[in-house]
Amino acid sequence: MLRIFVVEDNELYARTLQHQLSLNPENEVSIFGSGKEFLKNLYLKPDVVSLDYRLPDMTGDEILGKIREQFPELPVIIVSGQEDIGTAVNLLKEGAYDYIVKNENTKDRIWNAVNHVRDRLRLENEIERLREEVNTKYDFSNIKGNSDVLRRVFKLVEKAAQTNIVVSITGETGTGKEQIAKAIHYNSPMRKKAFVAVNMAAIPTELIESELFGYEKGAFTGANNRKIGRFEEASGSTLFLDEIGELDLHLQAKLLRVLQEKEVTRLGSNIPVKVNPRIIVATHRNLAEEVKKGNFREDLYFRLLGLPVELPPLRDRGNDVIILAKYFADEFCKENKLAKLQIGNAAQAKLMKYRWPGNVRELKAVVELAAVLCDGDEIGEEHLNFHSSDGISDLMSEETSLRVYTNRIIKYYLNKYDNNVIKVAEVLDIGKSTIYRLIKNKEIEI
Amino acid sequence: MSDLLYDLTQLNELAGGSEEFVNTMIETFLEHTPEQFESMNQAFQEKDYKRMGDVAHKIKPSIDLFQIQGLGELIRSVERQGKNNEPLPDLTQQMATIQQVLFDAMNQLKNR
Repeated sequence: MLRIFVVEDNELYARTLQHQLSLNPENEVSIFGSGKEFLKNLYLKPDVVSLDYRLPDMTGDEILGKIREQFPELPVIIVSGQEDIGTAVNLLKEGAYDYIVKNENTKDRIWNAVNHVRDRLRLENEIERLREEVNTKYDFSNIKGNSDVLRRVFKLVEKAAQTNIVVSITGETGTGKEQIAKAIHYNSPMRKKAFVAVNMAAIPTELIESELFGYEKGAFTGANNRKIGRFEEASGSTLFLDEIGELDLHLQAKLLRVLQEKEVTRLGSNIPVKVNPRIIVATHRNLAEEVKKGNFREDLYFRLLGLPVELPPLRDRGNDVIILAKYFADEFCKENKLAKLQIGNAAQAKLMKYRWPGNVRELKAVVELAAVLCDGDEIGEEHLNFHSSDGISDLMSEETSLRVYTNRIIKYYLNKYDNNVIKVAEVLDIGKSTIYRLIKNKEIEI
Repeated sequence: MSDLLYDLTQLNELAGGSEEFVNTMIETFLEHTPEQFESMNQAFQEKDYKRMGDVAHKIKPSIDLFQIQGLGELIRSVERQGKNNEPLPDLTQQMATIQQVLFDAMNQLKNR
């Protein structure tokens, strides 16, 4: 449906246009006899406007200006009684879509212009749809964000998905390491097979071996059935070993062997089974550091390094905080059948300022709590409760100059000690003249 | 009444078989043309030729659409005189002709 507004004081002419444009049932044509009447209805957001240049109450460029204020992109076809090249050029410069002189061909020309607009809108929609499709592909369904640092990650993920190279993902807790691993899997040729994930930190050390490699019936007390290990399960698919840094040294040796030989031997068996899972590992630790400290085997480290993907902490991802917050709010409302929530400006500023030690996971929790706490249709500053009690991080999050921090500290103690400069100088171990100078220079107000 | 002073060929063509549209257009024409003519005539009386030309410009499409006999050329002449602010000696006669033919045509349309 194309909504067309015809602004034309000659009613006979307007009706002719309306009649002709309505021949296409997809056109919905409304007539306005004056500029004022038209502007009153502009909020209905037409798709295209045919505007008579000479109206009794306003001139064409006045109206064009007003349209542009509200809808900079709205196509406006100017219809004029006289051919006047100068006016035409000016109007086109000001963004008129077309300039048509009233004569026997006018109706055909308007008809054509409207059809062009229709085609253009269709193409614009098509582009919008394709762009969305591309973005969906790029954000790998679960990973939201638009920042440069994240785009670099996407590039690596895309590369990783094309081959079966080992991928090692590092990043602070809550940055979405598992999401990235899944993104690689679901974009790789193995996508149709199950994604197998094992969290080394979540399984007691003594059970990890049987979890990874499986066991035969009777291998140990309680082994009543044969169990297939994760390596076998993930053969031909992706095996995600989360928190690999937590694996203890003797299991590291076993893992290394499995990776080299591409075969596992179940506990209680002596027959090796061929396995070829694609390995993705993740850790919040700096493995190179762990190697230096002797906590992680160097040979395994190099074996697992493969393609390193480092996930940026949320605080380095700029506006992604807001994109994610909106996404989490929308998702939460959808899941709980609540009305859509907006995030107020002050709340957005507060989100941007915070350091997010728990990263995306923390953001999700904060937003969901805020969605529960807020009563209206907007999440306000007061609904955002940060779980981190790390005062120093909060203080540092401002990233302002040392002088500002210094002055703030001095001011704090001055307040505390009733502006007793001598006492404050003593507490902070600085010269009292320094404090006097700051007060004199009005860098500190008391 | 003798021959018809109007011709609906163009309008019918435009209507593409929509009787309703033809009727709406005739009604609109009958409703607005008298006041438009009055306004043009008044401007002429007041020697405000510029305004007279402007109104003539607005009446022109209706006269063309209903193909009112002989008025196409006349209304253009009035428009031109107004635009150039140069009334010709027979402008008075022209106005009288327009009035006569226009209102006769409208009467014919009313009794169609």
